[in-house]
Amino acid sequence: MRSLTSTVTASLIALGGIVAGTSANAATICFAFQDLETEFWVAGHKAITTTLADQGHTVLERNANEDANKQLEQIKDCIAQGVDGIIVIPQDGESAVTIVKEAQSADVPIAVFNRPPTDTSKGIVVVADNKTIAEQAVDYIVEEALAKAPADKTLNAIIIVGDLGDPNAVGRKDGFYAAIDKHKDRFNVVEVASKWDAATALANLEAAVTANPEVDLLFTSSDFLFPTIRSVFEPRGLWKKPGEDGHVMMAGLDGDKTACQLIKDGYVDATGVQDLYFEADASLKAILAAIDGGEAQPNEVVQDPGFALTQANLGTDEMKMWGCVLLAGK
Amino acid sequence: MGDLLAFEGLSKSWFGVPAVSDLTLAMRENSLLGVIGQNGAGKSTLMNMIGGIVEPTSGRMRWKGADYEPKSAADASEAGIAFIHQELNLFTNLTVAENLYIDGFPRKFGMIDWATINERTRHILGRLALDVEPSVNVGHLSPGERQLVEIARALHNEAELVIFDEPTTSLTPRETERLFETIATLRGEGRSIVYISHILSDVKKLSDDVAVLRDGKLVDQGPASDFSIARMIRSMIGRDLGGQFPERSNTPTTSAILSARSLSQPGVLQDVSIAVNRGEILGLFGLMGAGRSELARVIFGLDPHETGEIEIDGKPLAGGPRERIAAGLAFVTEDRRAEGLMLEAPIAENLALVSIDRFGKKPFMLVDRERVAEETEAMKDNLSIKAGNIARQPAKALSGGNQQKVVIGKWQMQSPKLFILDEPTRGVDVGAKYEIYTLIDRIAATGGGILMISSELEELLGMADRIVVMNRGEVVGEVGRDEFDRETILSMAFREVIA
Amino acid sequence: MPSAASSPSRKWASRLFLSDYFVLYLSLAYVAILAPFLPTLLNPANISNVLSNLWPLLVVATGQTFILATAGIDLSQGAVIAVTSVIGAMLIAVTGNAAVLSNAPIWGVFIGEQGGILAGSIGGIAVAIAIMMLVAILIGLLNGVSVAVFGMPAFMVTLVTMIVIGAVAIYLSLSENISNLPDAFVTLGKGDLVSVYFGAQDESKIPRKIIYSFVTYPMVIAVAVAVAAHYLLNRTVFGRQVVAVGSNKRNAEVSGIPVRRVIVAVFVISAVCAAIGSILYSARLEAGRPTLGAGTFLLDVIGATVIGGTSLFGGKAKIIWTFFGVLFFVLLSNTLNLMNLSAFQVDMVKGAVILAAALLDVLRTRLTRELT
Repeated sequence: MRSLTSTVTASLIALGGIVAGTSANAATICFAFQDLETEFWVAGHKAITTTLADQGHTVLERNANEDANKQLEQIKDCIAQGVDGIIVIPQDGESAVTIVKEAQSADVPIAVFNRPPTDTSKGIVVVADNKTIAEQAVDYIVEEALAKAPADKTLNAIIIVGDLGDPNAVGRKDGFYAAIDKHKDRFNVVEVASKWDAATALANLEAAVTANPEVDLLFTSSDFLFPTIRSVFEPRGLWKKPGEDGHVMMAGLDGDKTACQLIKDGYVDATGVQDLYFEADASLKAILAAIDGGEAQPNEVVQDPGFALTQANLGTDEMKMWGCVLLAGK
Repeated sequence: MGDLLAFEGLSKSWFGVPAVSDLTLAMRENSLLGVIGQNGAGKSTLMNMIGGIVEPTSGRMRWKGADYEPKSAADASEAGIAFIHQELNLFTNLTVAENLYIDGFPRKFGMIDWATINERTRHILGRLALDVEPSVNVGHLSPGERQLVEIARALHNEAELVIFDEPTTSLTPRETERLFETIATLRGEGRSIVYISHILSDVKKLSDDVAVLRDGKLVDQGPASDFSIARMIRSMIGRDLGGQFPERSNTPTTSAILSARSLSQPGVLQDVSIAVNRGEILGLFGLMGAGRSELARVIFGLDPHETGEIEIDGKPLAGGPRERIAAGLAFVTEDRRAEGLMLEAPIAENLALVSIDRFGKKPFMLVDRERVAEETEAMKDNLSIKAGNIARQPAKALSGGNQQKVVIGKWQMQSPKLFILDEPTRGVDVGAKYEIYTLIDRIAATGGGILMISSELEELLGMADRIVVMNRGEVVGEVGRDEFDRETILSMAFREVIA
Repeated sequence: MPSAASSPSRKWASRLFLSDYFVLYLSLAYVAILAPFLPTLLNPANISNVLSNLWPLLVVATGQTFILATAGIDLSQGAVIAVTSVIGAMLIAVTGNAAVLSNAPIWGVFIGEQGGILAGSIGGIAVAIAIMMLVAILIGLLNGVSVAVFGMPAFMVTLVTMIVIGAVAIYLSLSENISNLPDAFVTLGKGDLVSVYFGAQDESKIPRKIIYSFVTYPMVIAVAVAVAAHYLLNRTVFGRQVVAVGSNKRNAEVSGIPVRRVIVAVFVISAVCAAIGSILYSARLEAGRPTLGAGTFLLDVIGATVIGGTSLFGGKAKIIWTFFGVLFFVLLSNTLNLMNLSAFQVDMVKGAVILAAALLDVLRTRLTRELT
């Protein structure tokens, strides 16, 4: 076994020489993502890969096709290939914990992007602060709505909540109430469950609007439900541009392409944006810092405070929102 | 008249081994050429060359005086040559008319012109005296009727030469008669025919000329009138065969091994009682559909019966094949390929299949491979199965006769008390038939009982100690060896059918 | 028929082609060709990875081999993996996460805040594994009886089982993963018995201590399963019966083979192998996962088995072929990863290789025919 060990070691040293010969500062980063099923992930993927490439680093991409086991195998392959660091978009919180453990026990720094592990104490965890983001967006429409309404009127507000098994959905709901509670006595809130499913949202929203035909304000926990909302609102004369009679103050969260278009058209007033570019940048910086510092098991939680894109700041901040970047790119 | 089809030095070899070598033969126009030979004599290869499926290695073919080099089955069909195969090539899920016109439907205003199709189909079927509607599904027809449909397709394609390959294997005697009438009709219309068959009397009766192949060579040819059956056999196997059947070497006892009493199953069997004695070969004769194979399947426990009982050695039989095999039954079914062999598996594995439990070593029932090898090798020698390495060679590489020996051998490994043999010599060539008869005689001589089912009355007359005749699910008569008579037995078998 | 090939080189080639070890040679040749271009390939870390990916797949493919040997197919293996994964995890999880699981039907019945009902009890893991096996046996019986006794096509039966059992797996935990499995269980999925220290690696920027596991619990389990299966399929009376049923079912019936019993047995074996695979997959991912075995997993299992040379038409199957098939398949996935191809390209190449394997099967069959 000793002779095997020494031969192998020798050849590894030789290999190491070849690999190291490329560029002084350049690192090889393994970027493993679960899938590219939505625009959000596509945009995130693009942000990370282009930034890395621009800085002269080598990126090894791994797509797990929504298979946690495959992702684990891919990460192990990356480690075997001798990468300097790993950025992972995990399939889910549980497998993320296992993957972080795997990488750290091999002395490879790892960052988890956007979808947090159930245990955030290990690895670099870059996560959107859903509560703050939601609060910023809802603050804007609350203020706008109150400004337009007579001082003594109680306003009807609807929140479409996501699947509450998902921590993101809980955070967004908390953010909504944080904003509303600043004017607790002025609002009458109706909760509509969506379970992150368009059909469920459609049925429940129909029921809610039939029971409370007067709607002043709506917050959806995700932008992807705007088309569903439109199909309920439009026949009832609630889908209007600002200034038109019946305009409902609306806000969403995510910052996708549809939301960008709707804000530009005026139907939607604000949306909370996960600052994808910030998150990508933060992941890269953290992982590269760990590599430069020789830190094999960096543990850090980076919160993305996000921002709200509103009718007020549309002119200046449009291109900070990833959905608008996609829209403009088309 | 000139030659219709001629071969000049035609050869085909596979990896250097000749299948047909230097064959020169001509066929006159409007004649019937009978082609005979043992399995593997080169008949199929020759036919495949005519049909454009196989390309000759050397030599050439001429069709109506011109060079004939078919590259595909379509070329042969185009030239006017049709094949009626042993396994019919019909679409059983389509109608008669659709089968005829499958190559191209006539159209009218862009739609398939069913009226014309049906009318022309009816016309062609009329010429063959086949009374079925063009719209009937071929799947509903009997084997004989299907064959006529295939001939109808040849007529539809205006074939000048029709090649029949073993056309009578799945036909009843009546259907066979009808086929011969149809062949006469075809000849009356000026068509030529190549007729390949193992049934030498048919070949002699039908042919103008006979060609005999052996080991890929043309070994004998001439006008049919010059050929006796004996000469045919001699030419085919290259030596005198002597008698067609071995002498029976023992006289049966009178103690019954198998006795079945009053077996009934609605629509299949009616009050059938039958007994087979130790050392006896009991022949079971009847037309197709008379219930012979059905009786065998009931006795073996493959099919159910409503009333009646079956005993072996005085003990009642129950359960499925597994239990009945344990009680001493063996069954060589009529369909060797589908029910008798694992074609892809080595010969040794086929031989050891029935008795495999016996070779299991406790506690894990690991197969004792040495003993299997020993015993299968001994069985191969015992039955003189012509094979190389039986542990590697698959069963499908054997000739029909040797395959049948393997099937008999796998039962012999279990030393059964009673053998049911359903068509034991079907698809077996003349030389191997004799060996199988010898084997059957040997089993009886060592005290086994044999229930032998056959459509060939000759072989029952040659081998059986007693013949039981079935007709429409009933036993209609029984004849002892001393009273064997073709006419009597046939009239029993045909009785109600004729009436 | 024409006999053995004429020239010696041709003879040699066809012997190689028809050898039991053909796929092994193919794998070695594949590695030899790619090694100069993919330096990582023979790196001990990578070999350790290839092995760790090999074992669970081998166990599942071993079960499938028995089914294919009888000319059947078992599409439900993935679903069995998923459902036994959830069941095992819900019984032994050390703690339960109320935020995630409190709506699931198993909450409060099999698992609560203090973990699964068998958590911490002596022999709890063994009992949980026994229950996983029992569930697999029941599913196997359901499949086998439907196919053997009611005569339904295996494809249809196991497709339905796949859908229904897959749905049950998701329903049990409402699609949530059950994490916090006990360490002893996790060890079964990735615990080492023998590791080798290769010294510090200096190829990456941060020097790593390089300890690679070679002999692991999954290896021991998978090798044990495969060896037992090899003897069962290729050496016992039962194995002969399995092959006989696959070669020619009607012949097997006439020859007194207990055809129904054999078919039921192979479906049970297949499901049990899937459940053992489930232990390995759940343990390495440290969670009971209702989505295990979904997606293209079935492609991997059946693909690897067929690449090994086991015929989809039945009657031709060896565990050693499956072992080499799985080895080749895992190597293929690994090298495609090392080539940095995208997931789509990887699947395209995998599909093409499986197609080539099917074609190879036809060619080998033809060659056998010509040689005999």
